[in-house]
Amino acid sequence: MTQAHSVILKIDGITKLHGQFKALNTISLNINRGEIFGLLGPNGAGKSTLLSILAGSTNPSSGIALLDREKIQPTNLTLRARIGLVPQDFAFYEDLTARENLLFFGQLFRIHGQILTNKVNEILQIIGLDDGKADQYSKYFSGGMKRRLNLGIALVHSPDVLMLDEPTVGVDPQSRNRIFEAIKIINSMGTTVIYTTHYMEEAETLCNRIAILDHGQIIACDTLQNLLSLAQTTIKFSIIENDQTRAGILKQNLPALIPDSSPGNYSLTSHKNATPDIINLLVNEKIQIINLHMDSPNLEKVFLSLTGRHLRD
Amino acid sequence: MQSFIIAKKELKLLIRDKLTATVLVVLPFVMILILGLLLGEGFGQKNDDLMRISVLNLDNGLGLNNKPWAEHAIDDMVSTPNIKVEIIQTKELAEELVKTGKRAAVIIFNPDFSDRVNDCSFLSTGVNPFHRDGIYLEKLQVSIVKDNKQPATSAIIESVCQIALLRIVMPWMIGKAFEKLGDPEFIELLGKEVSLPIPPSLRLLIPKDKIPLGELLELASGKDVILAKNYREKVGSGIQIALTGQFKNYNLTGKSWASLTRSVNNTETVKTLTTFQNEDGTGILKRGAIRYQILVPSFTVMFAFSLILIAGWIFVAEKRQGTFNRLLSTPVSTPSILLGKFIPTMIISLFQILFLLALGKVLLGLKIGMPTWSLTDWMIALIILPLATSFCVASFSLLIGLLSKNETQLALFSSIPVCLFALIGGCIFPWEMMPDNAKTLAFFTPQGWALDAFREIMPSSFDTTTDFKLIWKSTLVLTTMGFILVGITWITLDRVRFSNS
Repeated sequence: MTQAHSVILKIDGITKLHGQFKALNTISLNINRGEIFGLLGPNGAGKSTLLSILAGSTNPSSGIALLDREKIQPTNLTLRARIGLVPQDFAFYEDLTARENLLFFGQLFRIHGQILTNKVNEILQIIGLDDGKADQYSKYFSGGMKRRLNLGIALVHSPDVLMLDEPTVGVDPQSRNRIFEAIKIINSMGTTVIYTTHYMEEAETLCNRIAILDHGQIIACDTLQNLLSLAQTTIKFSIIENDQTRAGILKQNLPALIPDSSPGNYSLTSHKNATPDIINLLVNEKIQIINLHMDSPNLEKVFLSLTGRHLRD
Repeated sequence: MQSFIIAKKELKLLIRDKLTATVLVVLPFVMILILGLLLGEGFGQKNDDLMRISVLNLDNGLGLNNKPWAEHAIDDMVSTPNIKVEIIQTKELAEELVKTGKRAAVIIFNPDFSDRVNDCSFLSTGVNPFHRDGIYLEKLQVSIVKDNKQPATSAIIESVCQIALLRIVMPWMIGKAFEKLGDPEFIELLGKEVSLPIPPSLRLLIPKDKIPLGELLELASGKDVILAKNYREKVGSGIQIALTGQFKNYNLTGKSWASLTRSVNNTETVKTLTTFQNEDGTGILKRGAIRYQILVPSFTVMFAFSLILIAGWIFVAEKRQGTFNRLLSTPVSTPSILLGKFIPTMIISLFQILFLLALGKVLLGLKIGMPTWSLTDWMIALIILPLATSFCVASFSLLIGLLSKNETQLALFSSIPVCLFALIGGCIFPWEMMPDNAKTLAFFTPQGWALDAFREIMPSSFDTTTDFKLIWKSTLVLTTMGFILVGITWITLDRVRFSNS
């Protein structure tokens, strides 16, 4: 499979202006077929705007988005059958049951008869609403159940690309896990997933590749592993004997090492994991360690190191 | 196909909201019923500024020109400017109308009225109906049933009666008296009462200083009886001619007020004589009350257009809960989405209109159509016109719903077509109660056109004919308005859906 074939969604230089405000600034991305692609960024970063363009709900001010080389634009109605959008807010009829909601939207995508019935049953099972809840009015659902129904409606027409706009906002951990499970099942069936969130844990748990969006720009886009390597890691350790000689050895071998205010305590911050180097050095020099503490790298730290701000600021 | 799926869903949602569905169809009828019971019988009737005199004619005698004197009296009242006469059919009805305060007074010409008028005379043997202030009504067998709670109006009605009676009794008595001048009895009396002096040259023949006129006539006739009678008649007619010449502005033998006073017929006076019609309806619901002929079409049209608010609210609610955007994100075309929203509103509006007409007919005794109508006429009235009205309603609903971003905007936007247009269109205050040029203004509103046509199919009386040209014209205007509104909505929704914003 060539690279060109593996790309399902190509985003090229998309800019979106709201008056003078640049909501998106020259975004370019390739999203591969069958992957779970995360769009991570703080509120207002432009994630929903980008998703809205990719779903064909709105036009970009400039640039182009292609779904399998076909231009995504609001007037291209046939393309919408290949896209499933899960909006951030609930978007279903509360006076219809879960099943009726799924049937209704399925029919709008021209799915009828037994095929639709089977599809609806399958989705109800995937989203965990098949246990008698399917025929209850959705207005009586809990927040988590509503979130799952919101997701289910986007699946009823078996889209090639499923776009989820912060689908776990305000749900309990149990429902969140059910949503994750559903997404993994859908993905395992070959659906490409684009997942926007400002929760780094979700992106870390679900996504193969992640783009970090800030102020309408992609500031990083890579696999989780590669992104984590961008984060600065801080190692703190204490040694028993703290004399000028040992301090000199440490300073000489680790120039970035910063002595703490209390004697024998040191910390080292770097973009790579320096733990092995420190341990090797201490062992070789026969310096006895009292304790060693290392901060694990995560996307929060990646974001912090790239922007100087926290993700949830 | 997609449209019907959307329409079916909308109807399903509405039917599930049983309270709203019930209110939609029942509220207009309840409003009609409440107003129907509260409003007086004059509601919606043009104020013609005429004093109404209610009369019960039981007179079974004959008077001048072999016509009952009661009819002469009624004619006299009808000819009086600013008075309209209403004939009440029975005494029981007259008493009921007065008792219930619907009439301040009813004048009753009893069966002997003509005979008593015929008996009126200046002769000592005749009936003298006069007193210092007018006429003794009881002497003429005239009675007035009065409502004691409306003394002022009763007094006016009695005055009108007094004047009318004076105008028929007085000329009648004068005319009869004038005729008496030629009667032999009068000449006999005159012959005895009038003595003429005998000139000296004739005293040899008639040895008297004076001679009564009667004797003189006998002398002149030479004791010839026939000739004597002839002379007497000549004296009588001479007196009549002399009096006629003396009072030539009057016809003293006329026996009617018009003849006596030699009045010129005033052609400008509008003569209004009507027969009492029970416009207040019967029973608890006031079945058949004439005001329902105004209320039902008015409220049918008003509530049909009130659907703009309800359909618009559903639209706004759908936007608020995000389903509208989800709908727009499906491959369904804009016209299909619009049609899907359009069909339910139209069905509801159509159902509401026909439901109100049916309920009006069954419960309120509403008059719909004419006995002469053909099947085509009925189809125009009950299918084509309601369809055109519903089409306009649904179009308006879509546009208002689409333009409103929230409930506040919806309330503001819909107040124009729902309230203002209903007021101008004559749905709240009937045109009859509004200034004359109000109807011209009404034709700038769809309600005005719809109401005009609906009132045509629910006439106040069967005496009129149905103007089907007007109904077709209204239907055409409403349909055209609907198409224009749908066009604007389509363009607007396309812009919302496919614009760069």
